Amino acid sequence: MVMGDFAQGTQVAVIGGGTGGYVAAIRAAQLGLEVTLVEKEELGGLCLNWGCIPSKALIHAAGLKREIERADKMGIIAGELSVDLSKLMEWKQGIVEKLRKGVSSLLSQNKVEVVQGTAVLTGERSFTVEGPKGVHRFEFEHAILATGSIAAEMPGMPRDGVLVIDSKDALELKELPKRLVVVGAGAIGLELGTVFAKLGTKVTLLENGKALLTMLDPQIGKVMERALKSLNIEVIFDARVKGIEKRNGAAEVQYSTPDGEKSVEADKVLVAIGRRPNTAGIGLEKAGLKLDNRGFVVVNDRMMTSTAGIYAVGDLIAGPMLAHKASYQGKVAAEVIAGEPASFEAVEVPGVIFSDPEIAWVGLTEEQAKEQGYKVKTGVFPFKALGRTLTLGDEGLGFSKVVSDAEGGTVLGVHIVGPSASDLISEGALAVASAANIEDLTLTIHPHPTLPESIEEAAEQAEHRAIHIFSPPSTAEKTK
Amino acid sequence: MRHVFRLPDVGEGITEAEVVEYLVKVGDQVKADQPVIRVETDKAVVELPAPVTGVVAELPHSPGDTVKVGDALLVIETEEKAVKAPPEKKEKPKEAPKAPPPEKEPLRPPKVAAKEEEAPAEPARKVLATPHTRRLARELGVDITAVKGSGPRGRITDEDVREAAKKKEVPPPKGPTAAAVQAPATAGFDFEKYGPTKRVPLKGIRKRTAEVMVRSVSTIPHVTHFDEADVTELLKVRDREKALADQRGVKLTILAFLTKAVADALKKYPMFNASLDEATGEIVNKQYYNVGFATDTEAGLMVPVVRDVDKKSILQIAAELNELSRKARDRTIELEDMRGGTFTITNVGALGGSWATPIIVHPEVAILCSLRAVEKPVVRNGEVVVRTIMPLTLSFDHRVLDGADAARFMSHIVTLLEDPMRMLVDVA
Repeated sequence: MVMGDFAQGTQVAVIGGGTGGYVAAIRAAQLGLEVTLVEKEELGGLCLNWGCIPSKALIHAAGLKREIERADKMGIIAGELSVDLSKLMEWKQGIVEKLRKGVSSLLSQNKVEVVQGTAVLTGERSFTVEGPKGVHRFEFEHAILATGSIAAEMPGMPRDGVLVIDSKDALELKELPKRLVVVGAGAIGLELGTVFAKLGTKVTLLENGKALLTMLDPQIGKVMERALKSLNIEVIFDARVKGIEKRNGAAEVQYSTPDGEKSVEADKVLVAIGRRPNTAGIGLEKAGLKLDNRGFVVVNDRMMTSTAGIYAVGDLIAGPMLAHKASYQGKVAAEVIAGEPASFEAVEVPGVIFSDPEIAWVGLTEEQAKEQGYKVKTGVFPFKALGRTLTLGDEGLGFSKVVSDAEGGTVLGVHIVGPSASDLISEGALAVASAANIEDLTLTIHPHPTLPESIEEAAEQAEHRAIHIFSPPSTAEKTK
Repeated sequence: MRHVFRLPDVGEGITEAEVVEYLVKVGDQVKADQPVIRVETDKAVVELPAPVTGVVAELPHSPGDTVKVGDALLVIETEEKAVKAPPEKKEKPKEAPKAPPPEKEPLRPPKVAAKEEEAPAEPARKVLATPHTRRLARELGVDITAVKGSGPRGRITDEDVREAAKKKEVPPPKGPTAAAVQAPATAGFDFEKYGPTKRVPLKGIRKRTAEVMVRSVSTIPHVTHFDEADVTELLKVRDREKALADQRGVKLTILAFLTKAVADALKKYPMFNASLDEATGEIVNKQYYNVGFATDTEAGLMVPVVRDVDKKSILQIAAELNELSRKARDRTIELEDMRGGTFTITNVGALGGSWATPIIVHPEVAILCSLRAVEKPVVRNGEVVVRTIMPLTLSFDHRVLDGADAARFMSHIVTLLEDPMRMLVDVA
């Protein structure tokens, strides 16, 4: 050991300052633990800096433009609209910086020591941080790993940041591309594809599946297809991307479909084919951490990895890659370390896609519930039958759907595609988490006129008692 | 057909184990002898292999659950009938709210072993409880899937969980020991009366330690003998031989020397290597010398055993100590590594303290505790000089040994520690 090379000790080391990490750090500090948080880029991680927050800012702005364009039917005539992308990006960046400062001051108020640099585990109780001030050694009693995920790259089409971009690049574009090809019609592809289409870009989505969002209720994908069509977004299914040819600052993306080899030209190609856990180069092998066959860190319900004292949360471990899952798990890990009886057992993670219309879901789909052996009773209510939808100027595409156990009536899942689905799903999440009865939804007063009435009515429709749609029981059901 | 894999009786008085983790998921294909679950028994974590080849159908427990010998650990659907894996279930199987017995129905012992048990057509119904109630159950150490709900359609209320915690099944006492641990001596105490509390279940290693300690103090009349050894010379020897040890990648500790001294003392005074067979009323003199070391780990106190210390060099003992304590700390230690001890050393030196009275590891008859060696003024040849002094305490079983035996045993150890050359000259 070299003189002066002494290790700094900490009770809890949090590696990664994203949504999982900073929430874990604050909760651990609240519980009286001494916490050191290491971040190599910006506090707030992907979600705050290059994900949820900036994309939602752009989605809102693009949606506002579209609303203004369609406001002529309300007698509001705005004339020719133009988009100053650099001004828009500046506004978005302002929000990001404000939130980042907020996280930073919360961490310091909670006396969390923030270390800038890249952490690499060197053993079961130690790591080094390489930062602007050199390399420092740390020893810990407990560590929470929250290093997140990185965008998966398309084989044969590596990101160059100019023509071939990832979601992070897309949120920092200086100019609006005329033609954008999005590879992958998952959550990120749909959200960003929709934004650019609304801002005036010609968007083409290449999807290798045969339908949209096949893991969700099948009707949701169908609604989405219609919505994309009305935004003039072209979706090509069954498309296998073969490669790219770059010429004169533009790209030609080659792909094959069952109909043969094809190509499409673009000014930017956004690759959004998913993300993978960020496990490389952080010394997991030195700490003896086990990974599963898909490369995720293996943890139990209490977020404990295979090495005692080391915990992992968020995108690094299996499950949906969503910020609210990461933050919940961050809290669980911190509470477990502090000796509280926290667990991720039986926790339902709601999913959200900020497309237009928005999509949100929680719990089991009808298909999943049937596969598990439930006799299922479902109720569906379309947004177009709701007064509030129309007063918002919305055309009412979409529905709320409640899935329940036919024996006993426990709510098993709620699925929404429609206006403000992301805000509506919390009622469904509470119902599923509490194992509420479907009658709890129908017997709770939902204020009028509001969008959540769609959930109340969907629950009533399960018994053919919805007031605002006519859906009598079928003859088969009546004779039963 | 369904094969229910139950916690086997691994002998040595183990009656229960704690589930650490499943190594497989529902729907996984497993081969016979492939490790499928890690459980914590006695003081070790062991991986148990699948008894048959097939598809995992049910994982009825969660990490942290306690299972008894004979309880189902997992259900494997074997080739004979199952072609496709049953769908993955979000929650472990639990009783339908209306099914009266709060047991995991399909997992009771099969009535007729030969009869094929079909996977139940009933879905794994959700437990009707809010997240708050679930957390309360975890806090009170109650398995919520086994709680019978008193609310509508079997909804579990906070009160149900509190009742279940009060009534939590107490296994029938097996003897004075178990009773002493589990008889609710604290029943009636209202801890919450004077302020908030937190409740953590007594389980795993903590529980095991509690049981062993109660058994020891309630059967063995303990006497503790105190002495001091001047280890100034020994430290010099240790420092001199450190280079050789480093070369072999071994951390040479005073503990290794102490062990060798103990080995010699045990040979000279074999009664310290004995056990009292309470059933037959005989004293059992063991012809082997295996020394256990009390090791403080994150999971609790473990006692790995170095075998045949009389036949090993000090360096060999040091190497084994290094390896065993590493294994104990990272929980890879095997049960076998912690069995068969004939004498125990507990070294609390590093943690500070001047004196301690250790409790004997039943059914051994003595335990030696070494404390921190510190420089002290002592009188040698009529002059006050500074020497490094290590306190030693020895607890012994007064049924088998007497104070004079302890004094002789201890002074033999002290002599060897004070004159390390003696170990070379006089120790076989």
